[in-house]
Amino acid sequence: MSGATTTLRPSVAVLGAGKLGRGVARMLLAGGARVRVWARRELLHKQVEQEASGAVACDTLGEAVGDARFVFFAVPAPALLEVAEQYAPFAAGDHMALHACRGVGLGFLLPHQAIRQVTCVKRVGALGGPLYADDLEGDRPLAAVVASRYVQVIQLVKRMTAGAPVRVHASRDPVGVEVAGALSNVAMIAAGMSDALDLGETARGVLLTHGLSEALRLGCALGADPATFSGLAGVGDLIPRRVTSTLRNVRLGAEVAKGKSTNDALLEAIGAVEGVTTAREAAALSTRLGLALPLVSAVDDVLFGRRPAKDALEDVLGRDLVLGAEALAS
Amino acid sequence: MRPEDQERILAELEGRLVARVTERNGKGEARFDEVLADSVYHELKRLKEEPASQRKSDDAAFWSEVLKSMRGASDRVHRDLVRRAIRRYGEEIAGNFDERVYQAVTRAGVPGLGLLLNAVSPKRLLEGLPSLPKIDDAVILQGETEQLRRLHEVGTVVLVPTHVSNLDSVVVGYALWRLGLPPFIYGAGLNLFSNQLIGFFMHNLGAYTVDRKKHDPLYKEVLKEYCTLTLEAGYDNIFFPGGTRSRSGALEKKLKLGLLGSAVRAFVNNLEKKRPNPRVFIVPATMSYQLVLEAETLIDDFLKEQGKSRYIITDDEFSKPKRVFDFVRQLFSLDSKIFFTVGRAFDPFGNYVDDDGESLDPRGRVIDPERYVLVDGVPAHHEQRDEEYTREVGDKVVDAFLKDSVIQATHVTARAVFDILRRQNPEVDLVRLLRAGGPREEMSLSEVYDETERLLVELRGLRSRGGVRLGQIVESGSAEDVVSDGLAHFSIYHAEAAATRRGDRVFPTDRQLLFYYQNRLEGYRLERRQGLKPALSADHRAIRVAA
Repeated sequence: MSGATTTLRPSVAVLGAGKLGRGVARMLLAGGARVRVWARRELLHKQVEQEASGAVACDTLGEAVGDARFVFFAVPAPALLEVAEQYAPFAAGDHMALHACRGVGLGFLLPHQAIRQVTCVKRVGALGGPLYADDLEGDRPLAAVVASRYVQVIQLVKRMTAGAPVRVHASRDPVGVEVAGALSNVAMIAAGMSDALDLGETARGVLLTHGLSEALRLGCALGADPATFSGLAGVGDLIPRRVTSTLRNVRLGAEVAKGKSTNDALLEAIGAVEGVTTAREAAALSTRLGLALPLVSAVDDVLFGRRPAKDALEDVLGRDLVLGAEALAS
Repeated sequence: MRPEDQERILAELEGRLVARVTERNGKGEARFDEVLADSVYHELKRLKEEPASQRKSDDAAFWSEVLKSMRGASDRVHRDLVRRAIRRYGEEIAGNFDERVYQAVTRAGVPGLGLLLNAVSPKRLLEGLPSLPKIDDAVILQGETEQLRRLHEVGTVVLVPTHVSNLDSVVVGYALWRLGLPPFIYGAGLNLFSNQLIGFFMHNLGAYTVDRKKHDPLYKEVLKEYCTLTLEAGYDNIFFPGGTRSRSGALEKKLKLGLLGSAVRAFVNNLEKKRPNPRVFIVPATMSYQLVLEAETLIDDFLKEQGKSRYIITDDEFSKPKRVFDFVRQLFSLDSKIFFTVGRAFDPFGNYVDDDGESLDPRGRVIDPERYVLVDGVPAHHEQRDEEYTREVGDKVVDAFLKDSVIQATHVTARAVFDILRRQNPEVDLVRLLRAGGPREEMSLSEVYDETERLLVELRGLRSRGGVRLGQIVESGSAEDVVSDGLAHFSIYHAEAAATRRGDRVFPTDRQLLFYYQNRLEGYRLERRQGLKPALSADHRAIRVAA
């Protein structure tokens, strides 16, 4: 960190003042950091002041970045590239960036790749695992995976959260963590469809397992470590039932299975439902790579009106599960 | 290298490494006697397999003496033994510089100078022979040549070329001379110094040695630090990042990053010492030949080494001057072009640079590369961080190799014939197909034309997206022209042609050579549309077993 950011009180910019941004700001303040939050709307300024007392709410991104060397992207995946572009003129080689996005961009662009595609920042980390914003608000114990190829990013996050009730697990596999996070939303859409069609708890479990297996297969095709998928970012992420972003995907799946169009379901959703884009991009990527991802393809087909939900899910349920080394070979 | 620099670098090398080893000893990370024990172990093991020579006797005597002196000795004695080992390694790497030879060569005049100073010069041998075409017409320099010239003036350059042949050194040397650049320093395999043709010049003109048989970690550290110091002293370097010639003929995918890491280290050291022109630039370059001088030996070695230890080839086509002469003469008789393509330069963190050496972010904004190495506001080394930067630079070099490689008629023809061969023999695994063939080998000429046409469409599409470069015939010729040119090249020079045409049939006459030349197209994913899997593993170092 530079002279303007001391080891003891690092200066952090949080880009985004939603629930996650405010929760992260609060956590960082508890760890002793100096925090500035970029909040585009006046209403959010007030919420920042109320919920993260000590953080400075800023109108402009440049003001929020200031002399900070650590930048947290507290925005959903669809907004990431745009926010990264806005941040780029203020970025520098000694900055470190962290995000908590659970989706992908066009061409299956992973979040850490998106940040690196438009900024000069190399040291980027991904936050994964079951991040439940309400647990943040309730000061309940949290756990998260911080994944980065650069150990300094992980060390800094651990230092900054030392005073907060969060257990940080380190990973050197940002690809795996991001793929696991993104595809878990696709699996949750399938779970929502299954719930709406009353296929039962067993079917739900089988579909989620297919989803995890396919995440592993796709992730490893992109260079991920298979072990990541049996950790917090993989299995750990599928277990908690009330994570907000998870619920949004489950609800959308249910609405579509009941007959609503995907567009209508998206319009009615509160917040981003990243699984829709992920399903489309993952299906396209799997075709380009020659990988069979039946659950991903099924969800994509249903969302884009190519197959009825019941037929698509029953097709997946009728297939053998391909796991472990076999999944990587196929 | 200037003689005064040589001695200063060796002294600095010794000082730095002794200090580093002393620091580790102090922290309890690695004691002096542990370092020595490692060195003795590795060196005595290596010497057991070395053929008898004066060098072997000298080395054996030195390490035996170290072993004897180590026993029961004090820390001070151990430290001195480490210092002597470092010095010994350093002197071997740095080579012997003879001022008289240097002066004689620099007076020899420009045409031969670049080549001679890069220490491999069949041109000298070939000059004056009336039947040879002009080398200037045969070697095409393209790409970011102006940028390379400019960057040499504003900083220090690390040129990282592809490597398929020992002739690469000649081509690189010639290219640098034609661009008006002074010779670059490069490490040559110690085995090459035994080559009579080049050994004399290499020993005396400052090209440093790399002994790939030495596995002692201390040796590797000395080598890396030597490279770092030459960069700090402003000497442009050439690193072949594959470490050795590509045995399979494929582009390098997995690079040796040890020496490439010198770029970051040198940059940090330059900043710490506030040197003028501290910047270091990485410049990828590719070379493309229709035929490769040592192809038969290399592919044979590749196939033998699947599952076994790799051998260092010391007695191949390059060691036979007449063979080299025949190769060059025959290649040029077909108006064959050798492409030397200079890629876009980047800094040691993977950011492209402009022609003034300014680092750019992905949107073209000028950024300060010094910021990448700040720790608490000052430039400092950080091992893990810098390793990761270097790994990313390696990825960027690999991408540049793919993008800037020039595909020629032999590569396309070989690929077409080989793909048909694979599809005709689906039950035969690749290794068996290469060694023993399959039940269906010959194919019709029209099939080869059709396959070639499919490949040309894909390659031209890829070229239009900036994903590859194409030789002239591949760029704009018909499938018939490409196949004709490819087969014509196959019929000269090699003992057995890779593929032969008889009437309207084509025969893969040397499957291994065919495999070698078609491997140049591995990495572009052309096989997907043919329903085939890649022939090589992801790192291009092995054959895919299930293909």
